[in-house]
Amino acid sequence: MEYILETFELTKRFARTKGFIDILRRSRNKDVSAIEEINLKVKKNEFFGIVGPNGAGKTTLIKILCTLILPTSGSACVNGYDIVKEDDKARECLGFVSGDERSFYWRLTGRQNLEFFASLANLRDPNKKVCEVLELVDLKDKADDKFQTYSAGMKQRMTIARGMLNDPEVLFMDEPTRSIDPFSAEKLRSFIKEELVKERGKTIFMSTHLLDEAEKLCDRIAIIDKGRIRACGTLNDLEKQIPPNEICNLEIKGISKDILTRLGDMEGISEISTHFSSDIAYVEIQLSKREALLPQIIERIVKNGGKIIACNLKKPDLNEIFMNLVDKRG
Amino acid sequence: MILKKAFLFIKRDFLLSSSYRLSFALQLSGIFLSVLTFYFIALMFEGAAIPALEPYGGDYFSFVLIGVAFSTFLFTGLGSFSGSIRNEQMMGTLEAMLVTPTRISLIILFSSLWSFIFASIKVLIYLLLGVFLFNIDVTNANLFAALIVLILTIISFSSLGIISASFIMIFKQGDPVNWIFNTMSGLFGGVFFPITILPGWLQNISYILPITYSLRAMRHALLQGMSLKLLASDIFALVIFSIIMLPLSIFIFRYAIKRAKIDGSLTQY
Repeated sequence: MEYILETFELTKRFARTKGFIDILRRSRNKDVSAIEEINLKVKKNEFFGIVGPNGAGKTTLIKILCTLILPTSGSACVNGYDIVKEDDKARECLGFVSGDERSFYWRLTGRQNLEFFASLANLRDPNKKVCEVLELVDLKDKADDKFQTYSAGMKQRMTIARGMLNDPEVLFMDEPTRSIDPFSAEKLRSFIKEELVKERGKTIFMSTHLLDEAEKLCDRIAIIDKGRIRACGTLNDLEKQIPPNEICNLEIKGISKDILTRLGDMEGISEISTHFSSDIAYVEIQLSKREALLPQIIERIVKNGGKIIACNLKKPDLNEIFMNLVDKRG
Repeated sequence: MILKKAFLFIKRDFLLSSSYRLSFALQLSGIFLSVLTFYFIALMFEGAAIPALEPYGGDYFSFVLIGVAFSTFLFTGLGSFSGSIRNEQMMGTLEAMLVTPTRISLIILFSSLWSFIFASIKVLIYLLLGVFLFNIDVTNANLFAALIVLILTIISFSSLGIISASFIMIFKQGDPVNWIFNTMSGLFGGVFFPITILPGWLQNISYILPITYSLRAMRHALLQGMSLKLLASDIFALVIFSIIMLPLSIFIFRYAIKRAKIDGSLTQY
């Protein structure tokens, strides 16, 4: 089996029901599309990220793949099991980590919580597994404290411990760093990448709206907006698919504002901003087709008496690709 | 494996209930006050010959104590399934349970086990208080017949509770099944007075409620020690009710789960 997770034209439309009468009527023309014709393939041991703005359909997609919501059409397989027809088997191979820290019994201890969820995972030796996952997330010392005394970071590590109880093939993570501080978030990211993916060979399917998080962690990224996948691939693939503007910063001596303003008329320059400090002009140019355009820009500056004292090129990041995609098509 | 799961559900709910110690203690002490209230009401009728009570031995206190005690199972059966779903939805734990390989029907069934155990403890306290403090005579009780009636009572009341849970699954609040059977059973089910007191046309309502057969059979088994043969008509009614309602309730519940999964509202509240 080449792919551990596959979706085929996966679509979900929700009926906009309000109450009893609406459910009886089953009104079809009020449906709201949550995800449309999603086709994804995720390989074993891959860290796959799904990135999109709020309401893009990330959580709906994860909940469908975790068998919590039925798709309207299309299909999906987790570890080769159809999520609708073989949902019991699919659930045996998946773990779910939500960003919601409410999902535990706050008046029970961490260990009692995990023992309870381990029993639901049909484990032969649940106590051993509970000790193992507590050690994995470094919470063994606090295992017998009540869950309500845990910090937000510890609670989030508990959701990972719970997700790992059945030693899943695929771990679905829905915005796992949503409710924790930047320091804890960084520690958690490093734990997920180093321990879960590199050490234990888990496949991670993570949703996030934090672009730098996706950029740092994920092997491949799918950008979702308004329920549709806009682009999918490695960061390099995404750059090729959607060539973003590059940013060129120049520091120029002896040039007039007029000349710089006229540079903006050149084809391929989407934006230019300038400011002067004493006799130095600081210029930021957003341009496509850098290789062709940059020599022309430099030539024009030099011809007009300008002396370039610094030139700096900024590589496009996921943020720019994302903004480009979501803005253009949204 | 399945028994261990059931045990861990019971353990979880016991730990959670007992962690709210005051509420736990108040519930148990409430039983004593309730028994005391009915004892004093019964004192008003002491010595009076009440024809409607004759089939039950003529003592109002014994009659009402068994009615109130065993109606606990009705309210537990009706409310525990929907209550457990609602609690898990509110706590945010339902989602975490539903992504495990354990079937949702087992999750809901096991989530209500503690409620039935706690209801049994309450009924036992009612009976112990009645027997040892207020001298109710149960020396002739047919415990085997009472047990059969109790099992059928739990099955038929739970069927209604599962239908009630189906409503909660889809509509979240405003469950008509619970409301109808709760209010109707108190008035027409013979909890506080024999249904023969009601006008004939109102008694017809009593006969469509399982609690009517359940309480009548339980009183006859515990107070008069009637045999299964003598209780046959009430037991037959409860069996018919269970045979019809249990599969129907499971069918409705399955539909409700599918509907909630289609609507994406399984974990909403």
